[in-house]
Amino acid sequence: MKSIALGQYYPAQSILHRTDPRMKIILTVLYIVCSFLSKNILSFGLLLLSSLLLVAAGRIPLKIVLRGLRPVLIVLAFTAILNIFWTKGDHLLFGWQFVQIYAEGLYAAVFMMIRITTLIIGTSMLLTYTTTPIALTDALEDLLSPLKKLHVPVHEFAMMMTIALRFIPLLVEETDKIMTAQKARGVDFSTGSLMDRAKALIPVLIPLFVSAFNRAGDLATAMECRCYHGGEGRTRMHVLKLRGADFIPFILVVALGGALVALNLAGIGYTMK
Amino acid sequence: MRQEPFIKAEQLSYRYEEEEGGSPVLHDLSLEIQEGEFVAVLGHNGSGKSTLAKLLNMILIPTRGKLFVAGKDLTDENMTEEELLALRKNIGMVFQNPDNQLVATIVEDDVAFGPENLGVAPEEIRERVNRVLGEVGMLEYAKHEPHRLSGGQKQRIAIAGILAMLPNCIVFDESTAMLDPVGRREVMDAILRLNREKHITIVMITHYMEEAALADRIIVLDEGHVILDGTPSYVFEQEALLKSCGLNIPQCTELIHRLREAGISLPGDCVSPEQCAEMILQSLNLSK
Amino acid sequence: MSEIQLENLSYFHGKDTPYQIQALKNIHLTIPGGKITGLIGHTGSGKSTLVQMLNGLLRPDEGRVLLNGEDIWEKPKNIRSVRFRVGLVMQYPEYQLFEETVAKDIAFGPKNMGLGEEEIRDRVAEAARFAGLESELLEKSPFDLSGGQKRRAAIAGIIAMRPEILVLDEPAAGLDPRGRESIFENIVQYHRESNSTVVIVSHSMEDMARYCDHLVVMNEGEVLMQGDPNTVFSCADRLEEIGLDIPQITKTMLLLKSRGVETEGSIYTVEQALDAMLKLLKN
Repeated sequence: MKSIALGQYYPAQSILHRTDPRMKIILTVLYIVCSFLSKNILSFGLLLLSSLLLVAAGRIPLKIVLRGLRPVLIVLAFTAILNIFWTKGDHLLFGWQFVQIYAEGLYAAVFMMIRITTLIIGTSMLLTYTTTPIALTDALEDLLSPLKKLHVPVHEFAMMMTIALRFIPLLVEETDKIMTAQKARGVDFSTGSLMDRAKALIPVLIPLFVSAFNRAGDLATAMECRCYHGGEGRTRMHVLKLRGADFIPFILVVALGGALVALNLAGIGYTMK
Repeated sequence: MRQEPFIKAEQLSYRYEEEEGGSPVLHDLSLEIQEGEFVAVLGHNGSGKSTLAKLLNMILIPTRGKLFVAGKDLTDENMTEEELLALRKNIGMVFQNPDNQLVATIVEDDVAFGPENLGVAPEEIRERVNRVLGEVGMLEYAKHEPHRLSGGQKQRIAIAGILAMLPNCIVFDESTAMLDPVGRREVMDAILRLNREKHITIVMITHYMEEAALADRIIVLDEGHVILDGTPSYVFEQEALLKSCGLNIPQCTELIHRLREAGISLPGDCVSPEQCAEMILQSLNLSK
Repeated sequence: MSEIQLENLSYFHGKDTPYQIQALKNIHLTIPGGKITGLIGHTGSGKSTLVQMLNGLLRPDEGRVLLNGEDIWEKPKNIRSVRFRVGLVMQYPEYQLFEETVAKDIAFGPKNMGLGEEEIRDRVAEAARFAGLESELLEKSPFDLSGGQKRRAAIAGIIAMRPEILVLDEPAAGLDPRGRESIFENIVQYHRESNSTVVIVSHSMEDMARYCDHLVVMNEGEVLMQGDPNTVFSCADRLEEIGLDIPQITKTMLLLKSRGVETEGSIYTVEQALDAMLKLLKN
């Protein structure tokens, strides 16, 4: 239970780890755009290559990155099947009654799988693996700060994020403890009908809520005692500063976008619409 | 000339609103605490000691009476936001549950929380954070996540977070109650060091007699007012009174009392095993 | 009078992961029937893990847990019945309270046992009395009780299952001296009246010395010592070495010993010390 991977930050020394978190958020957006720019086998090839380069730049073992893809395997399989059977085209490869498989379908399936895979590898390499949740929150607060003028409570949202990040592991641990205590009173979480199992959760959820509320009350008092009075007049220990080096990955990703568009024009094989 | 006391309560009363008919938690409580003193506040649960702590930090407002901290009247209704923050900065609080007072996911970020709220410049926050983490012996844990630390370590981080605001006084509200003996010793060592070396005024609310014995002075609360106030050895003399309000005296003090009752002359004060052993040794040497 | 035997018991946290830690190492232990056994050790000594072995919340990786000679994991499907026979009050058990009223909450365990309504009512009343809960509190919401009362309600919830063995992990943690004393006195009285086996886990050597007939000292996942308080406290210096908080009195005696004043036997209460000192001083 305790090994729940939250944020999955992977500590290492790398260019990506050092890059300003605000820049990484912008890069992530750009990278997502890039993955949608790809249209044909050449540009998808380059896209895949770029995601592998990201993994290398972040110095994260490929094994760990691939393990992170495990939860989306079903989605990948599903999109593949959908594309194989439903894409119509000109080159029929196999036809039997209503089942018709076109070459375009196979292409589309492979392209979509590459797109989803690179999307996930890209965002996790740029954000979750190389940026601590707290840096991410700070960066978001900073990037969204212009919205403060429109009375959007940006600081409050960021504070809520920080507190949530702090308390999630605690609540996970607490759930574990409460479940053990109720098991000692004869609750059975693992057998019985779905209804029985749902019912067995009541003795866990109620104490969990009560405790979460108590903690929230205690924390509010403690924060007040530490002079918390909203975002106004507040300074930060970590000041985010863009360095010249932060622009290098920016230029690279923009160049990647340009290359993808250029490769799309080459027009080899199947081109996605 | 006598110095103005750092904390001064005059006939302080407090009653929780929902218990309008019930008796007040604090009534007519008067006390003075001098700057640099280490005072333990003892009392069983419900004696009003935690309410006193909340009044000191202006989480609650007295129903009646006056409360002064550093010469400022806490009951002043016209207090500005700046004055309130200045008071809260001056008198820090460490609570019972170590998990419910840490805000950030990284130790050093948590310690920075207070000074950040006060608008301290970033370079100075960094300098303070490193210094106070060193003072509580947690510098090597600066980049750790609080939820992986032991109870005693978490409590020391909480102390560092308060110290980073440069307070004159720290109130400990049963801060050792949820810790194991090792954690308790760690926190007590830190408290003693702050008082002895940095001359920070300490108000320590506790129900562990062994901890109270380390203070300069003990104030015993019962039913919302002060029933005993004096040095540990003076307070522990009043065994019957303490027992009547649900408190025990340390075992070694009790042993000395019993021996004296049996007619053995044992001069001196005894609040620790070391003193107890010393007194018995002296008496043995005399009788030889 | 039921007893538990642990045979060659080992347990690993995070088994088969890189973070594997051996929490219990070849434990051989008998929890004697009809006695109050105290389990002592500092945080991380394995005592809380051990306690969860006794009622089958954790399954040993090696070795057996015998309840009256029978292996509790003989038929893993029946493990739930073991949890009714060996009642476990966890540390800070207040968080297990969830029902609308205290009475309903105490009845939760017995209800899971499938008992009849009348039987349950009797047990709730009896358990509340043993735990020292006034009967007028039974119809209140458990969330309106004071800290000490919540603790008692949670303990009553386990006692109501009428376990043959009652195990309490730090039953007095965080309570004031008066609360501590009265909880321990309730436990002792429950033990006398129900004639059941009791296991108490605590950090406080003073409490253990006062209330237990048999002590087990754990250190780094192993049983370091066991025996009656006299035997265990005669090795007080060893206890102090492994970082346990020995009673102040015992500490005083150790200090005297280091200065050449020997006392006979082991001393861990004020009364024992008084006798010993009077003997010394009057000679």
